[in-house]
Amino acid sequence: MGDTTDIRKGAVIRHQNDLYVVTQFQFVNPGKGSAFTKTKMKSISTGKTIEITYKSSESVDTVQVQRQNMQYLYRTGDMYSFMNQDTYETIDVSSDLLEEDTQYLKEGLSVIALIHDGAVVAIDLPKKITYRVVEAPPAVKGDTASGNVTKEVVLDNGLKAQAPIFIKEGEDIIINTETGDYGGRATE
Amino acid sequence: MQFVINEEIQNTILSLTKDLMDHVNSIKKKKEVLIQRAKIIRLIREFFWEKNFLDVETPNLVALPGQEPHLSPIKLVIHDEKGKSYDAYLHTSPEYTLKKMLAAGFENIFSITKCFRDYESFGGLHNPEFTIAEWYRAHADFWAIMDDVTSLYTHLQTVFNALPVVHTKKIHMRDLWRETIGVDLGRYLNRDAMLNLCKTRGYHPLSDEPYEDVFYRIFLNDIEPKIKDYGSVIIHHYPAPMAALARLSEKDLGYAERFEWYVNGIELANAFSELTDAGEQQKRLEDEQQTRKKLGKMVYPIDTEFIDAVGNMPESAGIALGIDRLIQVILSCKNIDDVLVLPVSGIY
Repeated sequence: MGDTTDIRKGAVIRHQNDLYVVTQFQFVNPGKGSAFTKTKMKSISTGKTIEITYKSSESVDTVQVQRQNMQYLYRTGDMYSFMNQDTYETIDVSSDLLEEDTQYLKEGLSVIALIHDGAVVAIDLPKKITYRVVEAPPAVKGDTASGNVTKEVVLDNGLKAQAPIFIKEGEDIIINTETGDYGGRATE
Repeated sequence: MQFVINEEIQNTILSLTKDLMDHVNSIKKKKEVLIQRAKIIRLIREFFWEKNFLDVETPNLVALPGQEPHLSPIKLVIHDEKGKSYDAYLHTSPEYTLKKMLAAGFENIFSITKCFRDYESFGGLHNPEFTIAEWYRAHADFWAIMDDVTSLYTHLQTVFNALPVVHTKKIHMRDLWRETIGVDLGRYLNRDAMLNLCKTRGYHPLSDEPYEDVFYRIFLNDIEPKIKDYGSVIIHHYPAPMAALARLSEKDLGYAERFEWYVNGIELANAFSELTDAGEQQKRLEDEQQTRKKLGKMVYPIDTEFIDAVGNMPESAGIALGIDRLIQVILSCKNIDDVLVLPVSGIY
């Protein structure tokens, strides 16, 4: 048993005889009533997403899961293959489990798989991932004056992101995988 | 003598430069939003000036903060020139001081000020310091404040060329329950009835849970997710046990004259026809102080000057509006951090 402070992305919670992986959560304190945490979680058995709101004092049945380093290999249709970095075993994860996280995957990327009862229940992406810019339209004079300080660039895995107008093709940039936002030039 | 910088110092300088650049870069990225933020705040001020409200500044530093059981003020120690120390708190809202001003004869007043609340999330919908617009009308009730909210929001949308301009709906809490979950709230205005309803809906409330908590179990899980569909909506008349600092309704028995304003499911403001009964105010603050003790929150004395002010102020209505969240809504920013120069999450 845990409490609402244990709720985070990737946490596994037992709720009404099923296990759920937290995909989104938000703390809210209205001030005039008690604080709560709004949670969006996905059933491991059915894939169905539910929204549950926990009061701050409430107990939450969190489940311990194993965390394993994995490397992303390739995609075949709706299946994404990862390699266990300790045993070199390959496992396949369906796009239903990964949802919009699939857009951040690129060959060789290290991720953490959450494993419960031998099955992968969620993939935890690094918060920041570096990509190479493969397409960047040149900055147009007057952009800044009209308030357009960003432009759309295409990254080496096909992901499209908003980046500052000074970013050029061939540069490495960091993307924040929680927000999808540009997080600076990669310096290394 | 040759000046040598050893490796350790060099690394420190490098990391400081990097941190500085992170701050500067993050601010640079928000430039356009921050310009729009300033414009929204200017428009709000102009809106109230035109309505002959007085723009007032209240102290952020107070000796006795509010007693709301679920808020945690930030405690400080200040010193005079002789080194004598005093406990001080950063205010969680300017309410107490503004009510003292009402009692002193000020009529229509507004304040746009920083407020501080501890133990809240760094980012999302919260930042430990945030901006509130709070305003009061003397000789008025909460219907007048609803009109302020609807005309302010229409005005802001018009200036920002929102297409279409969303009009703010008003809905009685009773009607909201009926429309969203088909329940007649009028039958559940006392704790025992609400507790039973909560159990039949599959929740597991504790037997000693106060009315408000039981109400919120249903409200937050079954009703609030549907409030998004109402766009901009004022939900008025809260059950009497959730009156907080509101007056009870004389026409609508069992309800208090309190409303909240939501836009796209985000709560932006909380308003009351204010309580002006000093005895009742004293009683409610004592109850809240007891609840604070039970919850293990910081406990401090009740501000008796505030109780006196409540007894001496005219019939009034007031509201606290979260400015950062209003800016989020107008500029479609998902995270409060996106509309702040340097949010706490970017400092620590």
